[in-house]
Amino acid sequence: MGPKKKAPPNSASAAGPSSSEKPSARKPTEAPKASNAPKKARARASRVEDEGPREDDGFAALLEPFYGGKSLTDPIKTAEDKWNLLPAFLKVKGLVKQHIDSFNYFVEHEMMDIVMANKRVTSDVDSDFFLEYTNVHVGTPERLDYSDRKPLHEITPNECRLRDMTYAAPILVDFRYRKGKQISLRSNVPIARMPIMLRSSKCRLSGKNDRQMAHMNECALDPGGYFIVNGTEKVILVQEQLSKNRVIVEADVKKGIVSASVTSSTHERKSKGYVIMKKEKIYLQHNILTEPVPIVIVLKAMGIPSDNEILLLVAGIEDKYQDEFAVNFEEATKLGIFSQYQALDYIGTKVKMGVRNRAPGAPPQRRNTLADALEALSNIIITHVPVHGMDFRPKALYICFMVRRVLMAMGDPKLVDDRDYVGNKRLELAGQLLALLFEDLFKKFNTDLKMNIDKVLKKPNRTAAFDAYNHMLSHGNGITAGMNRAISTGNWSVKRFKMERAGVTHVLSRLSFISALGMMTRISSQFEKTRKVSGPRALQPSQFGMLCPSDTPEGEACGLVKNLALMTHITTNDEEEPIRQHVFFLGTEDITKCSGREIYEPGAYVVYINGTPLALSREPKKFLNAFRNLRRTGRVSEFVSIYINHHTNSVHIAADEGRICRPLIVVEKRKSKVTKRYLESLRKGIMDFDDFLYRGLIEYVDVNEENDSNIALYENEIDATTTHLEIEPFTILGAVAGLIPYPHHNQSPRNTYQCAMGKQAIGTIAYNQFSRIDTLLYLMVYPQQPMVKTRTIELIHYDKLPAGQNATVAVMSFSGYDIEDALVLNKASCDRGFGRCQVFRKYATQLRRYPNGVSDGIGGIEYDEKDPTRPITKHTILGSDGIARVGEKVSAGDTYIAKRVPLNTTSTGIGSDFGTDAYKPAPMTYKLPDYSYIDKVMVSQIENENMVVKVQTRQTRRPELGDKFSSRHGQKGVVGIIVNQEDMPFADSGVTPDIIMNPHGFPSRMTVGKMLECLSGKAGVLNGTLEYGTAFGGSNVDVMGQILIDKGFSYSGKDFVTSGITGESLPAYIFFGPIYYQKLKHMVQDKMHSRARGPRAILTRQPTEGRSRDGGLRLGEMERDCLIAYGASQLLLERLMLSSDAHQVDICEVCGLMGYQGYCQTCKTTKGVTTMTMPYAAKLLVQELLSMNVSVRLKLEDEFPHEGRKR
Amino acid sequence: MDFDDDMILDQGPAVTITEAGDNFVNFALQKVDLSFANSLRRVIMAEIPIMAIDLVEIEVNSSVLPDEFLCHRLGLIPLVSKNCTEDVEYTRECDCDQYCSRCSVTLSLHAKCTSNEIMKVYAADLLVDHDRANPWVGTPVITDAEGKGTVICKLRNGQELRMKCIAKKGIGKEHAKWAPVAAVGFEYDPHNKLKHTDLWFEKSIAEEWPASKHAEWEEPAQEGERFDPDAEPDKYYFEVEGVGNLAPDQIIHEGIKVLQTKLATILNALGETKEDAGERFLPDDDVDMGGRNDFDNGYTTPGYNGPSYGNHGRATPYGATPYGQSGY
Repeated sequence: MGPKKKAPPNSASAAGPSSSEKPSARKPTEAPKASNAPKKARARASRVEDEGPREDDGFAALLEPFYGGKSLTDPIKTAEDKWNLLPAFLKVKGLVKQHIDSFNYFVEHEMMDIVMANKRVTSDVDSDFFLEYTNVHVGTPERLDYSDRKPLHEITPNECRLRDMTYAAPILVDFRYRKGKQISLRSNVPIARMPIMLRSSKCRLSGKNDRQMAHMNECALDPGGYFIVNGTEKVILVQEQLSKNRVIVEADVKKGIVSASVTSSTHERKSKGYVIMKKEKIYLQHNILTEPVPIVIVLKAMGIPSDNEILLLVAGIEDKYQDEFAVNFEEATKLGIFSQYQALDYIGTKVKMGVRNRAPGAPPQRRNTLADALEALSNIIITHVPVHGMDFRPKALYICFMVRRVLMAMGDPKLVDDRDYVGNKRLELAGQLLALLFEDLFKKFNTDLKMNIDKVLKKPNRTAAFDAYNHMLSHGNGITAGMNRAISTGNWSVKRFKMERAGVTHVLSRLSFISALGMMTRISSQFEKTRKVSGPRALQPSQFGMLCPSDTPEGEACGLVKNLALMTHITTNDEEEPIRQHVFFLGTEDITKCSGREIYEPGAYVVYINGTPLALSREPKKFLNAFRNLRRTGRVSEFVSIYINHHTNSVHIAADEGRICRPLIVVEKRKSKVTKRYLESLRKGIMDFDDFLYRGLIEYVDVNEENDSNIALYENEIDATTTHLEIEPFTILGAVAGLIPYPHHNQSPRNTYQCAMGKQAIGTIAYNQFSRIDTLLYLMVYPQQPMVKTRTIELIHYDKLPAGQNATVAVMSFSGYDIEDALVLNKASCDRGFGRCQVFRKYATQLRRYPNGVSDGIGGIEYDEKDPTRPITKHTILGSDGIARVGEKVSAGDTYIAKRVPLNTTSTGIGSDFGTDAYKPAPMTYKLPDYSYIDKVMVSQIENENMVVKVQTRQTRRPELGDKFSSRHGQKGVVGIIVNQEDMPFADSGVTPDIIMNPHGFPSRMTVGKMLECLSGKAGVLNGTLEYGTAFGGSNVDVMGQILIDKGFSYSGKDFVTSGITGESLPAYIFFGPIYYQKLKHMVQDKMHSRARGPRAILTRQPTEGRSRDGGLRLGEMERDCLIAYGASQLLLERLMLSSDAHQVDICEVCGLMGYQGYCQTCKTTKGVTTMTMPYAAKLLVQELLSMNVSVRLKLEDEFPHEGRKR
Repeated sequence: MDFDDDMILDQGPAVTITEAGDNFVNFALQKVDLSFANSLRRVIMAEIPIMAIDLVEIEVNSSVLPDEFLCHRLGLIPLVSKNCTEDVEYTRECDCDQYCSRCSVTLSLHAKCTSNEIMKVYAADLLVDHDRANPWVGTPVITDAEGKGTVICKLRNGQELRMKCIAKKGIGKEHAKWAPVAAVGFEYDPHNKLKHTDLWFEKSIAEEWPASKHAEWEEPAQEGERFDPDAEPDKYYFEVEGVGNLAPDQIIHEGIKVLQTKLATILNALGETKEDAGERFLPDDDVDMGGRNDFDNGYTTPGYNGPSYGNHGRATPYGATPYGQSGY
């Protein structure tokens, strides 16, 4: 295999170097023998042909929405069948639509906005020169190493995974610029490579059907939404934040402080402003101000000179607020500030302007306080309210309303905002994060470009006309490298905002399908994990239907890491301008033209758009309905929300990005708008989810609007005040919690435990699981879909990619090896394949290329000294190419890649500087204690032209003592004993259980859902049906009991059971039936470890730590305490010194220092030098102290002095 | 095993066959005690020797299933084992080196998909070598209407399987593939007259607990009948359904035979003089449970010792680690 050979996309996954010379793998160990089969095989050959036409492999059906086995002709009842909207929703949106929508918005709109905002590059040297971007777009992913010689430049995601490449597409810009005297146009110039989110609109997978996906070695059920950077799959987790540009009122009861704060964020700047009430006086506070400025002064500076106007704008006509606010005027008066000029001057002295505008080398400018104050007020404080032409009115109003909120919260503590309220939160997605990063990198790109251009233009005479195009091409790596680095390390640093965030991206967990899916719906909070505050961790009532109440980790991240519910959608940004126009068309007045008296008139409501006051409405209810109608008719984007707040007399319209929302059925006049007729057309495929949306039958409702609605759970609960109807109650759970059957019957922590364990279950990963080479891959040999399914299982296709098996379980105690949740397994079941799994491991190496042209190589199989035809034992499994043959068994110590590195990597080859051309073997050796088989070998080239060799090994494991299993109800247990089938108890039909579970697991855990699963499962088995355990629904227990009775069983699910050992019937009846069990990834084989002797750490000479280093087992502090208390001094001595780091030292009894070889260096004598044994660590401590100028002298004494020696 | 008619007329055990078919037999066993009936059940499940594929020599496997996966599937294919107790030797007891026609049956499998349609490889595609102990032994059991048997694997265009499978004799205790039955139905006292079971119920036993199908074979407890605490069970209802390796009557016969051999060994040992009795109690090949000969005083779990542990479960030699001879 020459180094030139590059794996083409499809063959990379195939069986490696030489599928033809595939050797025999034997079981157990036998020599391969020539077969006499071929001649007999012919006899059969004819039979193969008469197989019928290829049957439907069921692939196409997978992507179709699922209607639960209902056929087109089945009758439709709206009450029961409205859940059909759910598959329709998922068909349109997909499971990870938030990520994909966000990314699409970024590459299709936001990137253009960013480029247009920074479109002009000019030169300081030549004022005539300019370069202006006119367009930008992202291409489709293609190979980096593509050239005319390699015309196949389309790249598939799986090729990127296998070849450790980045799945990226070029960012192409059009621009015009000045070249010499004329203006030139260039289009489609690549400036960078953008990592592409899988299944986004730019991805090669978008719009492909399942067969095309299969052709690309891609799983049709893979959710997408992640990136592939250098071969690893990376997810940008959803980040939860407090909403930007919204006023939040907070109170510190202890200090008596009430403050209204707003985080203003624009493209240029992000800062936080406060209106704070301290000692009954109100101030404005901001980072740019050295101290809080009295609010009256701020308002005066903003052009409201009249005290009366200020009072009216802030407090209205109510005496209560007027009295409370009046004190603030005194402060301004005391400071002698009456006019706008005085106010600006005052603020100017409080502004920290730094040396922002100073040109390098110029003398420090004299500060112009007026200009500073104007600059601060217009551009820095509350930046998101723009100031056009010194018109401070909107911003002044904004501050007035903040003050008003503070005054109101002072009077009524209930009006303080809740930071944990989901409506006050925004979710930041991949697209937004990438946009932040891209803008930063693009700006840097432009400044670099400008610098380079300046450098050239500075030179007086040039040979050729200057062409900026060449510069564009030459330094495009910054954006690419920046993007790749950010995604692959997860360190997001945006200089503009001084943002430095780590851990934004995570490697996509491919332990099971569910773990990957669960990761895509995960939300991480910016909140510190170490703080012990319960508020942000607690379940919020407002997260109903938006965030899963069950799926959160245990421990320190509990409640901070959340998961999206099934129907959640996260909004992207919508333009404000059209909405503004609609607001005014609906008969409202411009707020800037209104006086305080008008604003606080009874019945007048302020209309806010994205938190900024816009208009005043005197008929808010009518306005609200009219606006909602606009949305339902599609005049306004469906994701714009509107709600009314009667406490603050305000109507809020939100169109910003990151709001959590979900679809609900619209109810009008006590009638659900989704009727039987519509559901029929949905099922026939005439209508889809979007049609429902455009017809106003359903609408998206965000958390704030949901809070303002009256939502009926079921159709029969609709009354006169109902505004919406829930599509399906089980959608309050997420995808992972949706696997649990009957979760509404379980104690809630059990559902949470299952959410954690479902992600560790071994099963199937994806349809392309055999063409992937992952670092560690666990697969189940015979996975089964659960007997008791849920609607969610079908919707997320867990039944197509399951992780577990339906075990027949007897709930009884047996043998005493089942205490503490241990399970008893049936040996025959294990023989027949229960719990059998495969473990794949990847071993990869790169063949480096050195500067002098030599490179690492493979080869150099060593041969036996006596018999030169045979390789040495370690090398027996190697093929002629130096890589282990596929199918070979590899045991500890075997070499699987005979890699070698050149000894000479530096010589230049110029003149006599040649150096040796010898190689040193650097073999990759198999180190695990348990053997494996070579499953796949891949040889390919990665993006930096280096060769990469990947070897995948495979182990097949059957369950053994100590392997961990769990049901879907948070009930985990390890195998305590494996019992022969004839010893197992059996039902009168002779059925033996696969698993015996101890009944003590039930009373304290209260997992009634597990019992119901068993019951429904048993009825399903007897009836030949799959039963449902959907949350808040599922198969009815009474019906299940009836099925059991009809089939001749007890309705209770209990069976009459006989002991297999004695043959006597058991005194008690046993709960007996199928329960879906998951095998978890924690297996004894990976953990089992012991050591008698072995390696030691270099520094301390104590035994190493950990199984991977063949380490010792620590006798820890608490164990030591036990031995001390017991008085086992000799055992202590042995464990802590003799078996650890005993060391002989020579100690001089004269000076107390250490000597060596019986001689004391300090005293220059051998007299009085004795040897003693001490821990090496103690000796090390003494010496380290010596090195710090602390002298440690050891005084020796005989504990048992004997006669002959006297001191 | 031939039953004397007078034995049945006597006080000895009685068998009443209630139903029988090609691969099942339901019968009632009478006049034996519970332990005997249960031993028969246990022996049927675990100790009747039959044939199953135990060794696979793979030459080509380019299917999607890995080698171990295929081997496991092949092992579970039921093979006809008629008369294998007499005709076939245990490989470990045979004189041959590895295996021979007296202790094994060779089946070969060669399949290659050459069309664009997905091809299924069935148990029927296994070709049995004619050189075997008797003319039946080792043929895959095929019961379906098409005569194809179990699906072993599916192949796509170009994929190929070529392997040689060695079927050997073994017992269910060692691996479930050597079990002639999947389960044995066993019941006694359908009316619970002996009160071995405490019937759990909410309102009424009769309503909530469906009667066993064997209930009609016995009289229910009469009204006011006194409970006899000394009563012993005496009639046992068996439902034996074979996998297909052995006919149901053969299964029972073989079961009794194995049981007899075991009892005979014990009797034999007990009959010896005391001096050499000690030796005889060492497990003999016939009584040896797992059929494994390499007993090592129970220090290893049979079948769990990967050869990677080097010296097969004995103590780690001085200077070595359990993971190999890596010195430090």
